[in-house]
Amino acid sequence: MRKMKSITAIFLLSICLYGCTVKAVGDPNRPITINANIVVDIRGLKNTANNIEDMVAKGG
Amino acid sequence: MRTKVPFIIFLMMLMGSFSMSVVAWAAQYDIREKTPQIQQALSGRQARYGELQQLKSQGMIGENNQGFVQAMGNGPGVGEIVNAENRDRQVIYQAIVDQNQFGSGGYPQVTMVFAEVQRDKAAPGDPIQLPSGEWVKK
Repeated sequence: MRKMKSITAIFLLSICLYGCTVKAVGDPNRPITINANIVVDIRGLKNTANNIEDMVAKGG
Repeated sequence: MRTKVPFIIFLMMLMGSFSMSVVAWAAQYDIREKTPQIQQALSGRQARYGELQQLKSQGMIGENNQGFVQAMGNGPGVGEIVNAENRDRQVIYQAIVDQNQFGSGGYPQVTMVFAEVQRDKAAPGDPIQLPSGEWVKK
């Protein structure tokens, strides 16, 4: 049981560390440009749209 | 072997809870900062809401598939209310794009989602444009 707890702790810690670590490689004097594609969560956006339209309707 | 089985089950449950949280997760977008321009757009929309609904029920104004209203006839004041409403909507859509860092590609997605919400909220008989481009009465 104790072994199980320690393995679980290591597992969770490794997830936390892996999720938070950003490794950068390359020449710091030559900055690189990253073209990031932002993925919009449609479900979240629909919630926002509903909230705004409800607010407009209530104020009308 | 006997001690490993509960651990494997526990690990699988843990992994399952992680994957479920990913499935249940939905991003929270909002107008975080209501600038005077955004506040004015929201107030403007609220003020004309009743008149807009009336004109929609008369078939004079419809909701197009781009998230904007469209004049369906030449009634008095229809053009003005359509222009004012669309101007305010554009301010709100752009604020969502800018304040949630969607980038330039986010604007069409925002207008598409708002168009869908407007179709959902339209009253029976209101003119709406389907994603295919066809105009129907809801």
